[in-house]
Amino acid sequence: MMAKKVLHSLTLNGEQVDVATPSGATLLETLREDLRVLSSKRGCNQGVCGACTLLVDGKPVRACLTLTARCEGHEIQTVDGMGEDHVMATLQRHMVESGGVQCGFCTGGVLISARELLAEDPMPSREAVKTALSGNVCRCTGYRTIVDAVVGAAEELAQ
Amino acid sequence: MTEVLSPETVEDAVALLAEHEEAMPLSGGATLIAMRNASLVEPTHLVSLDRIAALRGITRTEEGGFRIGAMTRHCETAACADLTGSFYVLRRAAGMIANRVVRNMGTMGGSVANADPAADYLPALACCDAVLDIAGPEGRRQLSILDYVEDWYETALEEGEIITAITLPAPVEASSTYRKIARVSGDYATASCAMSLDADGQGLRVAIGACGPGPLRDRDGEAALRGKLDDPAAVAEFAGRLVALADPVDDVRGSAEYRLRLIPRLVTSVLSELTQQKEMA
Ligand SMILES: Cc1cc2nc3c(=O)[nH]c(=O)nc-3n(C[C@H](O)[C@H](O)[C@H](O)COP(=O)(O)OP(=O)(O)OC[C@H]3O[C@@H](n4cnc5c(N)ncnc54)[C@H](O)[C@@H]3O)c2cc1C
Ligand code: FES
Ligand code: FES
Repeated sequence: MMAKKVLHSLTLNGEQVDVATPSGATLLETLREDLRVLSSKRGCNQGVCGACTLLVDGKPVRACLTLTARCEGHEIQTVDGMGEDHVMATLQRHMVESGGVQCGFCTGGVLISARELLAEDPMPSREAVKTALSGNVCRCTGYRTIVDAVVGAAEELAQ
Repeated sequence: MTEVLSPETVEDAVALLAEHEEAMPLSGGATLIAMRNASLVEPTHLVSLDRIAALRGITRTEEGGFRIGAMTRHCETAACADLTGSFYVLRRAAGMIANRVVRNMGTMGGSVANADPAADYLPALACCDAVLDIAGPEGRRQLSILDYVEDWYETALEEGEIITAITLPAPVEASSTYRKIARVSGDYATASCAMSLDADGQGLRVAIGACGPGPLRDRDGEAALRGKLDDPAAVAEFAGRLVALADPVDDVRGSAEYRLRLIPRLVTSVLSELTQQKEMA
């Protein structure tokens, strides 16, 4: 069944975009189906896996649980729009170097959660990293290399 | 297909919920949108409460307690430095819900309305003797959190009513905390314990979570225990009464039997934590 579409005006990675999306769509559906912005992944669609995590007004939220209709007038940022961010770039490099990325499905969400952690706690313990990433499921790495990457990035950023 | 409505006043929200038969209120969406994504609910209209200014913010009441707007996110409650003493338990519980990302989304009103037996706010609020402010087609009313949960996922909230705020009464001189037993960080509780210990060391308030349809609180038992907190037999008897009140289920987080065993251990261990804190202060 074709759902009725509605027009929304969004701010995505600093740019104004107008999009027609099914009424009641989630931000994840609008980004992936209507805008073809694919950096937020659809894992569980239940808020559990963290693969869809992005920023609304600078705060990480689940795109699969956020309604597009509630995003008008708010700033949406996806991980592919954050390459200029120094903390993000450092985290990304450490993820690659430590082997924290395998298939990459979880990586965007992991990076956003890790960046939020470092904003609050610039020198987190391994335990604090694990707690902060408890909402990001990775089925490839076994997590150790991800924790290595976040701790390594924190150490580099502190210098 | 769902139509999203965004009223700006409580009155308009209540009117919209009455007007559309299959409408549901939407707060953080952390539970409701997940349920809709799984086709467990199919509302025709979602009445979003996020534009209603009157539902936001944590403010002090004239009595010295707090009014917490229903749309207050878990991250705001977890960061509220004013929630000290007997109210610290609520701040601590907020910080243990799920993970940072979900805490940025979920709200106190949504969590209370959802009344998941394993959720963290209900025992913490029961320990604070909180009162719910409710608005509905018949007007406004207040309800004690202790009378709120009626059965598994059944509450005293009537059709078309919304929670507008959670009120914490005047504080008692006490220290408090929240302990959550969970399989991993970020999971729902297998069992939990909210406790506040009076500054004079005589009285205690305890609420147990995830061991029945709603939080377990035994006020008669608390009264009988008054002044006997240093008597292990009296504490054990009190914990035994909570075990008798419990009605836990077997689920992926633990068996009913395991939960019953956790209750006395939680009571003794959290009590000794609060007692030690008091001695060190
Ligand atoms: C991955 C994950 C892990 C979680 N872990 C935990 C946990 O460890 N502990 C815990 O306590 N919770 C946990 N939660 C639940 C979370 O706290 C939710 O935010 C909360 O249960 C619902 O709040 P909400 O504001 O998102 O409500 P919504 O999802 O918006 O609404 C929930 C329900 O309440 C109704 N409703 C909403 N607001 C009102 C209102 N003001 N008045 C009347 N009815 C209303 C809705 O119609 C709906 O039926 C978890 C959620 C997720 C997704
Ligand atoms: S797809 Fe959103 S959390 Fe899994
Ligand atoms: S790298 Fe494959 S899921 Fe994490």
